[in-house]
Amino acid sequence: MSEIAIKVENLGKKYHLKHQQTDAEDSLVRSLFKGTKNLLRSHSKNAAEEFWALQAINFEIKKGDRVGIVGRNGAGKSTLLKILSRIVKPTTGRIEYEGRMASLLEVGTGFHGDLSGRENIFLNGSILGMTKTEIEKQFDEIVAFSEVEQFLDTPVKRYSSGMYVRLAFAVAAHLNPEILIVDEVLAVGDAAFQKKCIGKMNDISKAGDKTILFVSHSMQAVQKLCNTGIYLSKGKLMEHGSIDSIINRYLHSGEQSQSIYQLQKPDSATQGYAETVYIESEKGQPLMEIPVGDNWRVRITINLTQDVEHFIGGMGIVSALDQPIRTTWTKPLNIKKGNYELIFTNNDLMLTTGTYKIVIGLSSNERTFHYDDSTVSLNISDAGDTANNNRIVNTQSGLILNPMPYEFNQLN
Amino acid sequence: MKTVITSEDKSFFRLNEIIAYKSLIKHLSLRDLKVRYKQTWLGFSWSIIRPLVNSIIFGALSLLINKENSISSNFITVTSVVIFWQLLSSVITDVSNSLVANSNILTKVYFPKIILPISSITISLIDFSIAFVIFIITNIFVVGLPPWQIVLLPLIIIYALFFSLSIGLFFATASVKFRDVKFLLPFLMQIAFYSIPVFIPTSKFLSLNIPSILKDIYFLNPFVGIINAFKYCLFGVYEGPPFNYLVINLVTILILSILSIRYFLKFEKSFADYI
Repeated sequence: MSEIAIKVENLGKKYHLKHQQTDAEDSLVRSLFKGTKNLLRSHSKNAAEEFWALQAINFEIKKGDRVGIVGRNGAGKSTLLKILSRIVKPTTGRIEYEGRMASLLEVGTGFHGDLSGRENIFLNGSILGMTKTEIEKQFDEIVAFSEVEQFLDTPVKRYSSGMYVRLAFAVAAHLNPEILIVDEVLAVGDAAFQKKCIGKMNDISKAGDKTILFVSHSMQAVQKLCNTGIYLSKGKLMEHGSIDSIINRYLHSGEQSQSIYQLQKPDSATQGYAETVYIESEKGQPLMEIPVGDNWRVRITINLTQDVEHFIGGMGIVSALDQPIRTTWTKPLNIKKGNYELIFTNNDLMLTTGTYKIVIGLSSNERTFHYDDSTVSLNISDAGDTANNNRIVNTQSGLILNPMPYEFNQLN
Repeated sequence: MKTVITSEDKSFFRLNEIIAYKSLIKHLSLRDLKVRYKQTWLGFSWSIIRPLVNSIIFGALSLLINKENSISSNFITVTSVVIFWQLLSSVITDVSNSLVANSNILTKVYFPKIILPISSITISLIDFSIAFVIFIITNIFVVGLPPWQIVLLPLIIIYALFFSLSIGLFFATASVKFRDVKFLLPFLMQIAFYSIPVFIPTSKFLSLNIPSILKDIYFLNPFVGIINAFKYCLFGVYEGPPFNYLVINLVTILILSILSIRYFLKFEKSFADYI
């Protein structure tokens, strides 16, 4: 079991920011003008701004490990997966790995809407590197797993998004590679199917030394699936170790910018606007993920550019399925212009794990002057430090976990 | 099996890997084929309608120019060139577009990128085969059996495909970074079409009273040689270019191919970064 599956040495990936931004200006004519040599040479010699998406990454992964790669957006997780799957080439360093590798960076790569489910299984399978006989051998299993038997000859553009995702994951899950790379694909599909996916990946890894690399923002999913982890931050490897210590470190890292959201100014901010929303623990510590059962608070900074009559600030919690759960607001007040801070503390509602949307609204005289329902989200997680929470949490228990008061009396 | 990923720019032409991915070539070709005429009313007839209309138009032009020939021989000659040109130009165009058109796959999964240009020529080949079979049958009824030179035809077609593929490969690589190609290419193809002997046969062109340098340029155009070779296989009459020009053509094509394959391989690993 201690055999090395993947060995990464001094891996780095450099992007040229300016270069990418001015792509449109870089016309063929200009390049020809500079001399045809440039056409044949690397395009990016003179680019100004450099950005290292990954730098000096070293690690070894043992055969049979299930590795969770965590880090906030832009930490380099996807870049790492893309390099490992040979989609982009590294700027520095070297990777060695043993056996066949399959990557699932997107569900349904190369699916064509006009083709039937059956045709897409073969197309997608061959894109992922399966041979015809492999696909044929697994075909029935793929269909059974995807639960779309009835619609096998329907063009996939007529599929619901759930069916589409199920079919796509089913193909990938039956790839049977030695190394499987999965990026965030579980973010789609319903809870039951996500569970099935995690289960399938577990089966894959257990059946004979399969190595899995898994990127997800859901610490819950990572913790369920993985035994070791890699924590990336700003393109650097922070830690490589057991999954529990990785998740713990990630959740308690100072890197909490996902707990801070800058709202977009409304187009006509005549009276003012809400600037920033902070998701925090009860004590005011920023939190990217709130341990389930813990109290939390939402702090909103507000900038009023003029005096406001009959001011109301409100906040709503909406479930991932767009079901409003709770709305709360302040008593109307007449207030002077200036900067304010509004804090809503949640100390009574125990929400289950998952991602929720936070809606922010400010109004004056019953007229809303700033409303934002697309920026702020709230993550409740059962991963990490759960010392104060020994209750069994699962999504089947419902959205609200508050226990009800009860009486339990013996009757003669 | 051990795989090593390095920061090395250059990739190599790996025939065994292409063979390992042969089912991908098949399914990408099948996809293009199945999707192509989805939601069309005329479906596959479009493969015949396009060359047919072109043949009628250019056949009529040819009648005006080559009054000494019979109507049928005018149309037969023009049709053969139109069909063959359709093959060359659609191979060049489809290959040129193949990378950008499949950018969704290119940025999500690894495979030898040369698969995309290769599988994009299937459609053109099928279109050509359909049109060519119809043409040959008509030809047999109107003119009679083709001469013995017809046995050389597969060689000429392979030669022409090789040439078109390498031109397409160059444009495909360039288009990853420069979308100008999309606008430039139709334009170039149009120019190329008027530079080849469609309704003005080479013999007629040579008899024109023009500076000899123009005739040299005419013969240096590899397309002229390819089209005339094709006509030679079908009608048994060779109209030029002379042998020494043919050698120059061959060398030109070889050099162009080597350059465009090198250009492709040089950037193959960076496609996902630029597309």
